[in-house]
Amino acid sequence: MILPSDVRKVQVKAVYFDGQSARAHEVVLFLSGNSLGVKADHVSRMVALSSLRVSEPLGEAPRLIKFPDGAHCEVRDHAGLVELLAIGGHREGLVVQMQSRWRWALAAVVIAVAAVAAGYRWGLPSVSEWIAFKLPDKALAQMGESTLSYLDQSVFSPSKLPGGRQQALQKAFGQLVIPDEIDAGHVIVFRDSPVIGANAMALPDGTIVVTDQLVSLAEHDEEILGVLAHELGHLKRRHSLRMLIQGSIVGAVVAWYIGDVSSVAAGLPTLMLQMRYSRDHEREADVYAARMLKENGISPVRLADMLKRLEQTHASRTTQQKKAAEEPGFSDYFASHPATRERIQALEKE
Amino acid sequence: MSQTFNTQTLPFQFSGKGGEYFRIWIVNLALTILTLGIYSAWAKVRRLQYFYRNTSLANHGFDYHGDPKAILKGRLIGVALLVLYYASESFDPTLGLVAFAVLMLVMPWLVQRSLRFKLHNSSYRGLRFGFDGTVGDAYKAFLLWPVIGYFTLGLLAAVAHQRIKAYQHGNSRYGSEGFSFNVREGKFFGIYFKLLGMVILLIIAVALLAGVFGGMAAVFGGGMSEERKIAAIGIAIAAAIGIYLAAFLLIGPWFAARIQNLVWSGTSLGPHIFSSNVRARDLFWIYLTNFIGILLTLGLFKPFADIRLAKYRLEHMALNAQSSLDEFLAGQQQSISAMGEETADVFDFDIAF
Repeated sequence: MILPSDVRKVQVKAVYFDGQSARAHEVVLFLSGNSLGVKADHVSRMVALSSLRVSEPLGEAPRLIKFPDGAHCEVRDHAGLVELLAIGGHREGLVVQMQSRWRWALAAVVIAVAAVAAGYRWGLPSVSEWIAFKLPDKALAQMGESTLSYLDQSVFSPSKLPGGRQQALQKAFGQLVIPDEIDAGHVIVFRDSPVIGANAMALPDGTIVVTDQLVSLAEHDEEILGVLAHELGHLKRRHSLRMLIQGSIVGAVVAWYIGDVSSVAAGLPTLMLQMRYSRDHEREADVYAARMLKENGISPVRLADMLKRLEQTHASRTTQQKKAAEEPGFSDYFASHPATRERIQALEKE
Repeated sequence: MSQTFNTQTLPFQFSGKGGEYFRIWIVNLALTILTLGIYSAWAKVRRLQYFYRNTSLANHGFDYHGDPKAILKGRLIGVALLVLYYASESFDPTLGLVAFAVLMLVMPWLVQRSLRFKLHNSSYRGLRFGFDGTVGDAYKAFLLWPVIGYFTLGLLAAVAHQRIKAYQHGNSRYGSEGFSFNVREGKFFGIYFKLLGMVILLIIAVALLAGVFGGMAAVFGGGMSEERKIAAIGIAIAAAIGIYLAAFLLIGPWFAARIQNLVWSGTSLGPHIFSSNVRARDLFWIYLTNFIGILLTLGLFKPFADIRLAKYRLEHMALNAQSSLDEFLAGQQQSISAMGEETADVFDFDIAF
């Protein structure tokens, strides 16, 4: 039990500022009834406790007691102030109590990590998908054009395939039945690219680019149709667009988070994180291609054969890629295509 | 008050601690997530209060007075503007361009509001800071000069930088006493010329390294020309990343150190002159270790990194007091909305010191 005489004894040293000048006054604080007393050579005032605002504890930083008229006290005697506040009936808010304990900090880490992980795993893909299907055609056309012209300047040169051959392939694919949906309005173009090698890609505006190297690698036209069906699968699900949106969102969030420390670090995780997505997308596109091929009486094994051939050529190109193909597990995670073998097996089962 | 007063060098002190700030930061981050961002305004106030109150000069601390509700309002407007901007950009690129132009046009006004809000809500020894820069001058400093700098291919970027700092520092006041800024453009040019030289040296160094590795790859890689091309592309990409990283980790701290020293050593408050002696190599070490720490802890090191950087930068600054700091008087008070600060914040206009 605290007697009034004890209360009087709790005195805390502080520095008082009147809010009108920068002059510091060394004062002593004490409690008297429902008021706080401030006492010094030149200062003496009593202020009702209810009209004061006490700043929350922030580590070693001095705590501030603010008076209604703009004056304030700076207190560095933390233990003394806590005692004084306890007697005065002051209670710290919930957040303050949480901030001062490691237990709560740990819980906060768990909540934050779980929220970020959940946002990344479920929130990000669905938001990107939503945006991808909401974007107007004009924006898609713009993106597709700028991507293609960039690629044309850097890695592509005009196709060396005879025009007849190009048209024949375009026509063959055009005659295929497209599963359930209306045609998204795709265009097939051919490009020569020794740098990229045998490859095909779907741009956001519906353009499917096929390299001359892929056409010459194929041993049967149905294999090329298989690859085109696969790319169409990417287009139908707007994969490249979703990747682009996901990448931008992740990049923006990471850049904002790391902020002043670095924008370099932002690039690295973004790159690694994006790889994960294309794996799911490859599977989706494979499933779509298999369906489309079967509906047109073509065996999905054609696509599997093409994949095998692609894997062989790409594996022989660089030793690093070869290693990645041989060791599933760690390298498998970072691979932009899922272990191609896995995909081939899945297609052969179709 | 005409006691004899010896000129004193008063260093800034910072008592913030990583562990302490980590708890505050993570609890507020979790609350921000749980409230879908609404709590972020309160978190921001608390973060600034932690930094301000742990900063002291002549044994007395600074304080931050921003009202979270005002900040929240500003943030909501800012986010709405941002969404509108991105929406208009993706629906029609020309509309996006118009939105961008409009944004650029209002930006100096926002920056001016933001400076007013920030300074008005900062105090030391019970006296508020203030900012009296006009909107017209903000347009010159934040729009006219940067545009001129842009069209002269960066030749006049140094002048633009000087104008921005002069606007910020020259129009601030503490109580009724004004700050003044006396750094001529020439000094900025000096730093910018060295910066240019370093960037050129860096590019040459990386190009030489890339050439050596490229040559080695060509010799040992042997065989197909296709393989060589791929190696060349790989090396080009690695070189680009190398330049970027080196620029960030080597030149970034050097530039930050030189600019801080130049700007603060040329700033005074009434008769009192500031000084700053940040060393590039110390800053380099802090940037590097912070960068590694953040990468290794997937971001959890961030609060520790913030504290380390703030501590170093603050503790290498001082005020050379010519008379007692007791003698400042309050200026007239203005009430200022948070809209400028927060909307500017959302669009990330960097006006940090």
